[in-house]
Amino acid sequence: MVTEIINSNWTVSCTIAALCLPLISFILACIIPNRYSWVVTITSLLLLFVSMIMACSVSLTILNNHEYWSIATTWFSLSKVHFTVGFHVDSLTVLMLPVVTIVSFLVHLYSTGYMAGDKNVKQYFAMLGFFTFSMLGLILADNLLLLFVFWELVGFSSYMLIGHWYDKPAAGAASKKAFIFNRIGDAGFLIGLMIIWANAGSFNLESLHHVEIYSWQTAATLCLFCGVIGKSAQFPLLTWLPDAMEGPTPVSALIHAATMVAAGVYLLAKLFFLFTPEALQVVAIIGTITALIASLSALVQTDIKKILAYSTLSQLGFMVLAVGTGSPQAAMLHLFTHAFFKAGLFLGAGAIIHSLHQLEHHTHQHFDVQDIRTMGGLRKELPVTFITFLICGAALSGLPFFSGFLSKDAILNSVTAWAGTSLSWKWFIVISAFAIPFLTMLYTFRLIWYVFFGENRTKAIIGQAVKFGEVPFVMRMPLIILSVCSLWFIVSPNPSEFHGWLYHTLSVTPEDGISLTTVISAGWVLLALVVSYFYFRNRSIESSTSALSQLLYNSFYLDKIYEVIITVPVNKLTALTEKIDIRWVDGFIHATVLVNVTLAHVISWFDKYIVDGGVNGMARVAGSVGSVTRSFQGGKIQLYIFWAVLGIIIFLISMLI
Amino acid sequence: MQHYLLSLLIFTPLLAALIALFIPAEKKGVFFSLAAGACFVQLVFLVMILTGYKAGASLQFVEQHNWITIDLGTWGVLKAEYFVGLDGLNLPLVALTVPIMLIATLASYSIQKSVKGYFILLLILNAAIIGSFVALDFLLFYFFFEFMLLPMFFLIGIWGGPRREYASIKFFLYTLLGSILILIVMIGLYISVQDPDVPGKITHTFNMLHMSNPINYISNSILDPNHAWKIGSFDVRVLAFVFLFIGFGIKLPMVPFHTWLPDAHVEAPTPVSVILAALLLKIGGYGLLRIAYPVFPEAALHMSWFVGLVGVISIIYGALNAMASKDLKRLIAYSSVSHMGFVLLGIASVTTEGVSGAMYQMVSHGIISALLFLIAGVLYDRTNDRMISNYSGLASKMPMYFGVVLIGFFASLGLPGFSGFIAEIMVFLGAFKSHSVNGLLPTSLAVIATLGLILGAAYYLWTIQRMFFGPFSIKGNTSASQLPDLIRSEYVVLLPLVLATLFFGIYPQPLLDFINPYAQYLVDVVISHGKVIGSTLNH
Repeated sequence: MVTEIINSNWTVSCTIAALCLPLISFILACIIPNRYSWVVTITSLLLLFVSMIMACSVSLTILNNHEYWSIATTWFSLSKVHFTVGFHVDSLTVLMLPVVTIVSFLVHLYSTGYMAGDKNVKQYFAMLGFFTFSMLGLILADNLLLLFVFWELVGFSSYMLIGHWYDKPAAGAASKKAFIFNRIGDAGFLIGLMIIWANAGSFNLESLHHVEIYSWQTAATLCLFCGVIGKSAQFPLLTWLPDAMEGPTPVSALIHAATMVAAGVYLLAKLFFLFTPEALQVVAIIGTITALIASLSALVQTDIKKILAYSTLSQLGFMVLAVGTGSPQAAMLHLFTHAFFKAGLFLGAGAIIHSLHQLEHHTHQHFDVQDIRTMGGLRKELPVTFITFLICGAALSGLPFFSGFLSKDAILNSVTAWAGTSLSWKWFIVISAFAIPFLTMLYTFRLIWYVFFGENRTKAIIGQAVKFGEVPFVMRMPLIILSVCSLWFIVSPNPSEFHGWLYHTLSVTPEDGISLTTVISAGWVLLALVVSYFYFRNRSIESSTSALSQLLYNSFYLDKIYEVIITVPVNKLTALTEKIDIRWVDGFIHATVLVNVTLAHVISWFDKYIVDGGVNGMARVAGSVGSVTRSFQGGKIQLYIFWAVLGIIIFLISMLI
Repeated sequence: MQHYLLSLLIFTPLLAALIALFIPAEKKGVFFSLAAGACFVQLVFLVMILTGYKAGASLQFVEQHNWITIDLGTWGVLKAEYFVGLDGLNLPLVALTVPIMLIATLASYSIQKSVKGYFILLLILNAAIIGSFVALDFLLFYFFFEFMLLPMFFLIGIWGGPRREYASIKFFLYTLLGSILILIVMIGLYISVQDPDVPGKITHTFNMLHMSNPINYISNSILDPNHAWKIGSFDVRVLAFVFLFIGFGIKLPMVPFHTWLPDAHVEAPTPVSVILAALLLKIGGYGLLRIAYPVFPEAALHMSWFVGLVGVISIIYGALNAMASKDLKRLIAYSSVSHMGFVLLGIASVTTEGVSGAMYQMVSHGIISALLFLIAGVLYDRTNDRMISNYSGLASKMPMYFGVVLIGFFASLGLPGFSGFIAEIMVFLGAFKSHSVNGLLPTSLAVIATLGLILGAAYYLWTIQRMFFGPFSIKGNTSASQLPDLIRSEYVVLLPLVLATLFFGIYPQPLLDFINPYAQYLVDVVISHGKVIGSTLNH
């Protein structure tokens, strides 16, 4: 364990405080009685604010002085081996700390408006705090076991928050699905841990750095990658994320867009040194498949949150692809920018849903507030939401001068460099990597054209003139901050060059100059914008029944496939084991008992009729003999004379013969 | 005083039971206070033991007295002792037993039917459980082991549910089968082992410590490790190990000797279920660690893959059956089968991590299963209905109850932060490592066992989804007014368990300080003795 504490006690205590404050928020929310639930809103907001300030100051300090440190203490030990609890701050952590705390604070702030009046607001803030704590623990952990602990805990918080509105059956189903899908990945993660433990004998990331390349590393890293597939919803475990949109929208912004789902990418970057080239190829392919499936599916969705969820999936796939092509730093950069603009988009969607919901409430009419077919022309009704959504959307689709452009550019640069000039299967990945931003542009602006432009369909549905209310200040504020964070300067002072403030801390070898890829990618997304304008600007969304759009709408029927290959066989298996228990195991017991009882009956019959019967029979014989002989001695003189005469007669006859 | 603490622990409940005999049955309240009082007194003794115990592998609080000594002439001398003591293996289990018995007694507050008999049986059971954990003489152990059976049989058979007679007889027969197998091995060991401390005439002994030392075997006796007898092609010592494995495995319970458990649990009243799951099952794992492995190390090494396989089968088979269960208590019972499978897998690995994990799992499962059965009892007390499909949306009706259910379920499915996680992770690490350390288990066993984690999440979350999520509705003969949230007396029994599983999940070191020295000692002994005996056999 390398412990470098050089004048950094201040950053250490600040980091610990930033980690613990959300936990305190959780504990307070648990112990404050229900009738004071408004107190919880204030305490968690305050604690998260302080946590954010501390985390950001730590990051800024370390970005300047590069004093990375780690502290560790023994958690528990067996005779020879020790399991530690330790925190390690490196360039990746420095990048993640502000992302998690800023987005979390903004989501807390936003939630005070969005969740106002919810009957379980206390539990909501409790779990938000707990999630933030676990997420911070995940990024700070210095060893794989502790990382796995927090990895599972974020999954638990996600379960609780997706199922927050548990009265809705869909929310219950979605939360269960999310946790089980994560568990499937985590089982793989656990196998990876076992392989590492058996071979390297340590979970400490620092010590694993010194492990030489062994044959087990491919297997171990692929198993760990299973964890990533679950957590970051990669192919084939991707369908839980769109379903998870049943949770409250701020939760989707925080957990299912900005932070938790990105934890998989963070893990890949953190463990990049362990991955062998073979394992990385698998990573790249899985990332590509995910990104393609998701961005194609996003093109035909009609639920605003689902579109964003598929978009998140495709961006995550894009990041995973970047790691697979050997550029974890580009993936991390994209993670960083994506966290802000995607959180902004989700919160923007939340603002729309919120105001439509209010409308629904006022007009007493029921319609689907998340369906984009009920929206339209909202730029006039919700101007702040519109502007911020547009900025974040532009960042998502990678338009120049927005943060997404730079991070996407970093990935495209690394992918083209990785593929080399010779033609190989790698070019399939490169082509996909260019197709993904194009598709991103299409679905993003399809959404924007449809929701904010054109005529106001909501009024048409309600059938009366209605007044839209812009969302309250606490909800507008996060939107504005996040959209500002989606501009280019968050990454780099130069809007065309991604090695700005952050990239150099992640990568040791900066490439220089504006590459050809940058120019191409700028032209490419502009082309996509034009295409999307002409194709989607005035197009109405009909629920198409064509086979292709159904295929995309149901994301290639993955859920159906799971049902056929997992759910149905497992159900059959459970029915089978139940039957084995009842029919065979218990049946065997019952049969044994039956044999015993029958045997007992036979023996009892034998006792009764043969043994007892024999004894009784003897007695009866003796008795009857006795009664016969007794009858000779009745005591009647006449009888005696009769017998005597009879005896004499018999005697005489026998003598005569 | 110090030296009699264990006897005090055993005989306090017996004394209370004796007093109870002389109290007229009409005074119902007295019996509850008496039983709870006895448990509190035990708790005081336990605290004294815990403060006096020095961490390490050596035996402490030893009491050794002659119990039976009979000179059999040319057959030698029969010797059985009252020999009790504590080490890292049984101390955690005793420390689990006392509080769990207290909780079970407190949870028996609402028992109405023949209160006197109930509490007397509970007290006898209490003494028998502690006795079998601390006994170091095989005959004494067997005596307590059998003594548990009777109170348990009546507690299920008289105070149980509608099919109580079926369940209690099934429980009795299964356990009896196990007892017979153990008895056979005990007699074999008695014939083969002599007391080295008595010079001259051969003194047969039931002392377990003597049994686990190969030097003490009489040469050419039936279980002599140096000249193994064979029945057909079977090594007698391997056969003896298998007998013990099945005998204790029935208690554990392991598949396919497990079907008594769901029936017993479904019929047993809540406190009896708590005792059954939290304590009685542990005797199975305890017996393997105390007797089967140290006494037959070479057979244990030989059969370890089989033990591990049965463990993995139990994990997955139990989980699948839990998923198929329609009755909440049955589900929890099957989850016990699944979780006790980890004990087998951990023991089979014969690694420090694995054995420590198995021992940790016994304590952890003791806490969590007690919590789960109390949870099921809360619902049953209110409605007399445990069918999962009859409930929906309970979360909104009973939010605090839902909170405790969440904790119980997530603790059981191995969420980090709860004790089950620590135990299971150690078992996994040990089981996987076994291949490279001692070559006993194939790595695939640990890999397959991870399916148990997925299935565990599936059946618990599915249950939550069915019973607690969605709009509130109940079917059957219950009305919503029958479902108030948790009451104070329920908090009293639930909260200590919640805190305990959290404590041992976050801060495992205190418990590991007890467990680990014994685990290490056992691993060393089994491996070294096993190899020595194994090599003499081959020559």
